[in-house]
Amino acid sequence: MEKLSAKSDHIYLGEAIVKKALAVMIQHNLVKFQASERNNNVAEYTMIHHNVYCLIRYPKYLYMIKRIYGTSEEILLEILLNLGQASASNVIFHSANRLNEANDSEVLSPSALHQSFQRLAQDNFIIRCPKLAENATLLKVPTLEIEEKEKFAVPNVEIEPIARMLKEKATQLGGHCDSEIIWRVNHERFDIELRNVILVNAAARRVDTTAGELYHLILKLWRESSNPDSPVTTPVSYNVIKDAVRKNDSSPILLEHFDHYLRVLYEDSAGLIDRAGDAGGGQFNLDYSKVFENLACASLDSIVLERFGSKALRLFRLTRIQKFMEQDQMQNVAMIPAKEAKMFTYKLLEHNFLQIKELKKGTSNFAPVKSFILYHVELPQVVRTTLEASYKGLFNAMVRQMHDLTENQRLLEKHAMLESMLERLKGDGVPDEEIAELSDTMPPAEKSLVEKIHLMSDNLTLGQTQADETILILESYLKFKSKEL
Amino acid sequence: MGGRGRGRGNAVSFNIEQLGFGRGEAGPVSVTQPPPLFPSLENRPLPLIKDVENEYILVTQKDLSTRMRNSPFYLKKSENPSYEKELPVLWNRMPAELRETLPKRIATGNSKVTLNAKKKKVEDPDKIFAKLEKKERNESEVEEDGDGKEDEDDQDKSDDEKVENEDDVKEDLDDEMDDDTDYANNYFENGEAYLEDEEGQDDGEAQF
Repeated sequence: MEKLSAKSDHIYLGEAIVKKALAVMIQHNLVKFQASERNNNVAEYTMIHHNVYCLIRYPKYLYMIKRIYGTSEEILLEILLNLGQASASNVIFHSANRLNEANDSEVLSPSALHQSFQRLAQDNFIIRCPKLAENATLLKVPTLEIEEKEKFAVPNVEIEPIARMLKEKATQLGGHCDSEIIWRVNHERFDIELRNVILVNAAARRVDTTAGELYHLILKLWRESSNPDSPVTTPVSYNVIKDAVRKNDSSPILLEHFDHYLRVLYEDSAGLIDRAGDAGGGQFNLDYSKVFENLACASLDSIVLERFGSKALRLFRLTRIQKFMEQDQMQNVAMIPAKEAKMFTYKLLEHNFLQIKELKKGTSNFAPVKSFILYHVELPQVVRTTLEASYKGLFNAMVRQMHDLTENQRLLEKHAMLESMLERLKGDGVPDEEIAELSDTMPPAEKSLVEKIHLMSDNLTLGQTQADETILILESYLKFKSKEL
Repeated sequence: MGGRGRGRGNAVSFNIEQLGFGRGEAGPVSVTQPPPLFPSLENRPLPLIKDVENEYILVTQKDLSTRMRNSPFYLKKSENPSYEKELPVLWNRMPAELRETLPKRIATGNSKVTLNAKKKKVEDPDKIFAKLEKKERNESEVEEDGDGKEDEDDQDKSDDEKVENEDDVKEDLDDEMDDDTDYANNYFENGEAYLEDEEGQDDGEAQF
């Protein structure tokens, strides 16, 4: 928590820039403020770490929304992400503009967009920001508050003025009736959705895609009935699941073999579904901590496999499952020659995948004291180390990408300008020879360099996205583990 | 470190065999420098997954970052202070201190009380003295930490600010005038103006 004056002293950019930067960050939900206790006219600012991290997940949010709903919802969300916080009318106005730009043939009416907006709010993907308290305009630091029931209530939006503005091709929506009701993206809901995607993919990989469908339906049922903060969902009975499967437009295979799929899923050791009782034909629930423990272990296993080889993996899994083991035991049960076993054990120890516990034995005072050396895997510790390593990898990828792009900025800009010029000329119908001439102004060596830079940048982005997935699994494991204690 | 228990050496807590070395075999290489910054990879990592979702993510990421860079939210260093109209931020939901335009602070020691202090032209010496007296009173009252007195403080401050806001508007116009005719102003040296300008220049550099 810092005061504005403290910030200005630290940052040598000049006060105006600091103020602007703070305003922009507050607008985009990265920084929050509250009145300082000692002096009501001064605000103290805090950074919201989670939201800053979620910046990297914005493309994933858009992809999910596109899959679940469709293009208009996707555009609405994109506009909201660009603006940070905005009123419903504003979002609808800008989305209509964007859609009309992209797509001249269809003109999407604002009322259709309004319905899409309502759908997003109903499923809690967007949430209302707290509104100004009554006396807030008098205070130097406004207090913002919101009631629980108002969080997702969509106000009445006047379509008429929006439609009119669109016809006039305005770039800004003027004053409108719901300008005080501001919306933002609901990060928590998206996190839940990302986690569900991981679980559904796990089910699909473990069994097959139809099982994934079934699991998706069951997840929806659980989400509707359970408290989002509890580590275990409320049990859902077999009959309810059956009804849901029938009501939903599922594939015929699922309808026919729904029984078998359910059985396969809950007997599977991954813990995707737990059978909690027999009432109503069988009660099924989900224990998040167990499922994410299995997922985290699977991630760690694949990391060990890729870094050290399959023999090391055997040792690692063995130690993890058997809890405490001695060196001799390990090499015997894993059936690996002694020397190799010792080498891999040492490597795993060095990289903190294994931990050591020493137990002294022997009470005689004369003979040298012997001790047992037991190896074990302390899961939370190993997960935290791997999480740190993933963050570092993500950071490295981002730094490298930034470095590449800024070093070659001049070249990339030149290339971009050339491309846009060529596009325009092609559209105007200029003969091909002239176009070829123009594109030769840039030597092929430079062009291939630009290609290489783009390729590297793409690979780094992909790497960041995948690192983010691992981070999500490991973070969820730690979160649910701490909840169960 | 103690001996390695060769034969009848001193009794040590571990047995040479337990460490995994036979006699006569070399021990592990001792570490003489920190590990290399970029160690060589032993195994090549798995290739990146390139499916429909990731293609979409690539395109969207580039799109989003270009839009952000081109939007007015992207701040560059050389922006002029008249930003309240340019930045599409919801100003009425932010603390007032962020909305204020760039003040030239008088370099006083007390930054808390004079947070809203602005450079005042010497218009009315009596008014200035009255304000200074009030501020001195406020300072001593703030130190005593009374609740009722703080209300007075706030009232005084808001009174101050109302006057200051008016001054501000006038000052803005005056500032613009002054910038154009700066040379004329500084040419005819005026003792007071000279001092004021110097204090203002301090603000341009880093503050510690």
